[in-house]
Amino acid sequence: MTVVLEAFGDAALRARLPEGAPSRAVFESLRALPGVVDAVVTERHALVTFDPAAPPAGVGEAIEGALSGPTPAAAPRAHAIAVRYDGADLDEVSRAAGLSREEVIARHTQGAYVVAAIGFVPGFAYLRGLDPRLVLPRRATPRPRVPAGSVAIAGPYSGVYPLASPGGWHLLGSALDAVLFDPCSGATLALGDRVTFVERR
Amino acid sequence: MIRVLAVRGLATVQDAGRPGRMHQGVPSGGALVAEQLALANEAVGNAPGEAGIEVFGAISLAADEPVLVADDGSGARRLEPGEAWSVACAGARVRYLAVRGGIDVLRVLGGRGTLLSGGFGGHEGRPLQRGDALRVGQLPQGPSASRGLSSAGARVAAIRALDGTVAIRVVPGPDAERFAPGALDVLLGSPFEVAVQSDRVGVRLRGPLLPRADGDATISAPMVRGAIQVPPSGEPIVLGPDHPTTGGYPVLATVVRADFGALMARPLGTSVRFSR
Repeated sequence: MTVVLEAFGDAALRARLPEGAPSRAVFESLRALPGVVDAVVTERHALVTFDPAAPPAGVGEAIEGALSGPTPAAAPRAHAIAVRYDGADLDEVSRAAGLSREEVIARHTQGAYVVAAIGFVPGFAYLRGLDPRLVLPRRATPRPRVPAGSVAIAGPYSGVYPLASPGGWHLLGSALDAVLFDPCSGATLALGDRVTFVERR
Repeated sequence: MIRVLAVRGLATVQDAGRPGRMHQGVPSGGALVAEQLALANEAVGNAPGEAGIEVFGAISLAADEPVLVADDGSGARRLEPGEAWSVACAGARVRYLAVRGGIDVLRVLGGRGTLLSGGFGGHEGRPLQRGDALRVGQLPQGPSASRGLSSAGARVAAIRALDGTVAIRVVPGPDAERFAPGALDVLLGSPFEVAVQSDRVGVRLRGPLLPRADGDATISAPMVRGAIQVPPSGEPIVLGPDHPTTGGYPVLATVVRADFGALMARPLGTSVRFSR
């Protein structure tokens, strides 16, 4: 297929991706291009940034290559995150979903999640794989401060807040002993990684 | 050591940023107006992107040993021990303070700048406050190390960044189809005011509303500095150096890289025009 590149200012190009695109392979093929400063791949878009005086060549071809063939991408890693389900929104979520607290926890821990995108704040991973019964709109009013380590859901995603930040997701619990972002080494989760949540009482 | 005697407003350590980490959710950050930081740095013989202090408001510093210092509004001078060095924005959006050798904070993820939303970089990942002590770096030895005169290029770039009258050039898109017809004409045809809620994450603009054609995307997309995002209110936000790396609001147009500093340098309450 032909990838259409859109100008995003004079220092970036953006492409739309088909649903289910191999995001990790697209990311790695873009990051390997000479002249690419940053590459960011989300579920439906790929972006590269560069020096406007030296735009990279072959961006479209790199994406097409990753989409059309089996591109060797780094093997995804598996992460098991221990969670204490003591979140402030657990009762509200069980009411909205029409499930007991125990059922909410069971459905959340049964999910096999995949990192679909990284963004919002350093190290925040959008995890696909949420049980459809737990899909709820964001909170009407975001909280000004969500504690670091909060395990939350919103829309089709689950996620863990790596740092204290404002946030509009529903808080189900707290991740125990999980470092999602480290200023020395960066983000723990990478595109395509697999994540499971394990209840710890 | 450089010691912080007093801060009014916000002061952080900033450098040329940490590009190449956006896939980890880390924006490139760095000086809000790189042209001003470069001018101050060159005045003391540093590389243009060396770590200095960015201040919104005013700051007073003192040094333990004699050191060559400069801010981007005045030239270099020798700061003697015990002497107070005070710099205020005085009408500018930000000012930069440079010390010969640079502010020697740890390099974190490729940069020395402070990312407040991430709580890392700079001095303990936070704004400077009274009592903080900052180490001064060593200039690399070499022919260029002794110069200490701002280059003509740096002066021209800083003058342009601080010229509050130039129109800020944009490239339309990439989400133009998510706006009502004529939205781009509104952006290009009217003056906007820099709102007081502006910060390093984004410059908020007041002016005519930019009518959107659809709701927010349910799926976030990658963002870049200079993107003119329009939330449902219709009041645009131009993403700054510390922007979230992804977002769901449509982008009507994007500021060209050469004019990014000139937009970020506009003082609160002043007017800005955009052009193609």
